[in-house]
Amino acid sequence: MSVFADYKKELMEAAHNDRIRLALSRAIKSYRANIDNALKKFPHTVKMAEEVKEIKEKAIGQMEKLTQQACEAIEENKGKAHIAKTADDAVGIITSLVGRGKLIVKGKSMTSEEIDLREHLEEQGNEVYETDLGEFIIQKLGSRPMHISSPAIHVPREDVAKLFSKIIGEELSPDIEAMVAAARELLREKFFQADIGLSGANVVAADTGTLFLIENEGNIRLTTSAPPVHIALVGMDKLVPTLGDAYKVAEVTWRYANYTVPSYVSLVSGPSKTGDIEKVITYGAHGPKEFHVILMDAGRTELAKHPILRQALYCLRCGGCLYECPVFAVTAGHFGDKYFTGIGAAWAAKISRDMEKAASLAYTCLTCGRCKVRCPVKIDVPEMIIELRKLIAEGD
Amino acid sequence: MNRKKKGLIPPGLVYLADNIISKQNILGASKKQGAKWAKDLDLPQRAETIFFAGCGYQYTSDLEALMSLIRRMDKSAIGAELPMRIAGFQKKLSTDLTGIYRKVTSKGGDSEIQPLRAAVKVLSNLGVKFGYLADDEPCCGAPLYYTGLQREFAQNAQEMYKKLKSIGVKRIISIVPYCTHALRNLFPLCVDGYDLEVKHFSEVVLENISSRELRFPKEVKVTYHDPCQLARYLELIEEPRKILKAIKGIELVETEWTKGEWATCCGGGGGFEVVFPELSQILATNRVKELVETGAQIIVTHCPGCIMQLKDGLKELKADGVEVLDLAQIVAIAMEA
Repeated sequence: MSVFADYKKELMEAAHNDRIRLALSRAIKSYRANIDNALKKFPHTVKMAEEVKEIKEKAIGQMEKLTQQACEAIEENKGKAHIAKTADDAVGIITSLVGRGKLIVKGKSMTSEEIDLREHLEEQGNEVYETDLGEFIIQKLGSRPMHISSPAIHVPREDVAKLFSKIIGEELSPDIEAMVAAARELLREKFFQADIGLSGANVVAADTGTLFLIENEGNIRLTTSAPPVHIALVGMDKLVPTLGDAYKVAEVTWRYANYTVPSYVSLVSGPSKTGDIEKVITYGAHGPKEFHVILMDAGRTELAKHPILRQALYCLRCGGCLYECPVFAVTAGHFGDKYFTGIGAAWAAKISRDMEKAASLAYTCLTCGRCKVRCPVKIDVPEMIIELRKLIAEGD
Repeated sequence: MNRKKKGLIPPGLVYLADNIISKQNILGASKKQGAKWAKDLDLPQRAETIFFAGCGYQYTSDLEALMSLIRRMDKSAIGAELPMRIAGFQKKLSTDLTGIYRKVTSKGGDSEIQPLRAAVKVLSNLGVKFGYLADDEPCCGAPLYYTGLQREFAQNAQEMYKKLKSIGVKRIISIVPYCTHALRNLFPLCVDGYDLEVKHFSEVVLENISSRELRFPKEVKVTYHDPCQLARYLELIEEPRKILKAIKGIELVETEWTKGEWATCCGGGGGFEVVFPELSQILATNRVKELVETGAQIIVTHCPGCIMQLKDGLKELKADGVEVLDLAQIVAIAMEA
């Protein structure tokens, strides 16, 4: 079967799956109520989003320069900065840093999904625990994430209860609180036994080398501070010039991800250190002794050169657009590849370089444009899709 | 279209594109058939201001028949791709496909007649002077653009502009949202010195309606479905609502969230319906659910694609006592009463 036929079959199976539709209709309803509330409480967000759009437009044009700057800052902070030209380079750097037979706790990161990092580490004989609840569910289901910020969005509570009952070996009711407690119980000790904590980042300030990590669960705090080593994988598109810029990007990201304010925003710039005894700087106080940041290109600088498709790199990954996509509402991330819906199509074409997959996704877009209305940085998805279809039709 | 280009384009879209290029309409039907709705209306065929009817309305019943056929195929083990490929092949042998669809689905209806005849009646009633090119009306080629065939679209636009200029057209009153967006916003991008004034039907109606007494024959609850192109591409959100609110007897009840720029697509966007016929029907049903929840007895919209989709969705949902009407039909009824 052709790529398109396979894809269409998967998409239609999803569309006929009433569990997906049930879970998503619940999620969309609550997203809309939450974002409405968040934007009413903090109306300045809309103006700030315009500023963020400008910040991103500029930053995407100078990713290489910002990468150099960030590397220097991270090294100055006594962290280790690595540049990965390709996805393979990134996997190579991380697997050699990790080695074999390690216990790894991991925060949710779409960039790590992009390069199948967990699978690579497991192949090397490492034990990897996804610590984000949604991602943990996905890992245990042997599935792939279906939303940027809520990976298990397509799984209704009843199905999670079934899964967790199997894992812990006792009957669990579909009571969300009980399931959250079960996950806490299961993962708690792993954070402290782990050799390495792996994370991504929502945005990175190039001037100070600071990673911003937005979360609610507290799993990222633990992942990035309990183990002796912290490795962060970051796409170069996450870089912005200054700490101030990064803050704005972070606030707009969480607001459009429907939060008034998240429980935690961690700012990480270097390894843990102390100078409390005789002013002698010593690394590895209570946090990690080693801090590595891998800044990955993997097609991003190439994508940035395209006048229309580069918009895919402005994406803050708030996930707001997905709740507005009528196709996503019945198929979840099956309308996607590494990333989802229209932005996923541009990504498939230029980053994954899979034109057949890109074409399948491009012709699944309704070009209805409601995602653009939601997008904080006004990414014109229909415009990208039509451009992509032009490249496809003209056999580029 | 050459073979290389067809490679990754879904066959349904190749079929529509070939029809436009060869026959100047999305169905590859005869132009005479497209123009027959206006046969007895005595509209001048040459005028400075023309009413642009568009493929979607002119060939509604054929499109409905085609969609119903490919939806059935898409749900079966055969899938929609093969018949669409065969359709493209048969056309090369000059088989009358639309005739076949009609026979297969035993549809010969006149659903295209109603919105267009209503629109003409409304415009005439408001004293607007215009002509209709009838079987000379070219296709705007919008589906080419959405398929990715930009070069073909640009070429079609240039030829169409030349043709319209040569017969003295200066202004266009366009009614299909896709055509309107193409004629107003896309043509200037590919035609040098483009100078046709393009207005949408709803704009013309609103300009001329203020002094009129409009009354619907009975008290009804009406909801409005914004076509994507009208709301998000042409930003005509208030116009249709102002028209509806000007009609006595109509109570406009709207969806809580999915209206105006937030309206949910009917599932028939940009050729999606021929690529994913079954999924498109699921989306239509979802949209109709949102609209029916308002308690409206009539769903008003203003796009031939949306009308087709929403009607199909209503049927799937088995929502009795609710009907779908075009804005032009509503205004025509209100003028009669």
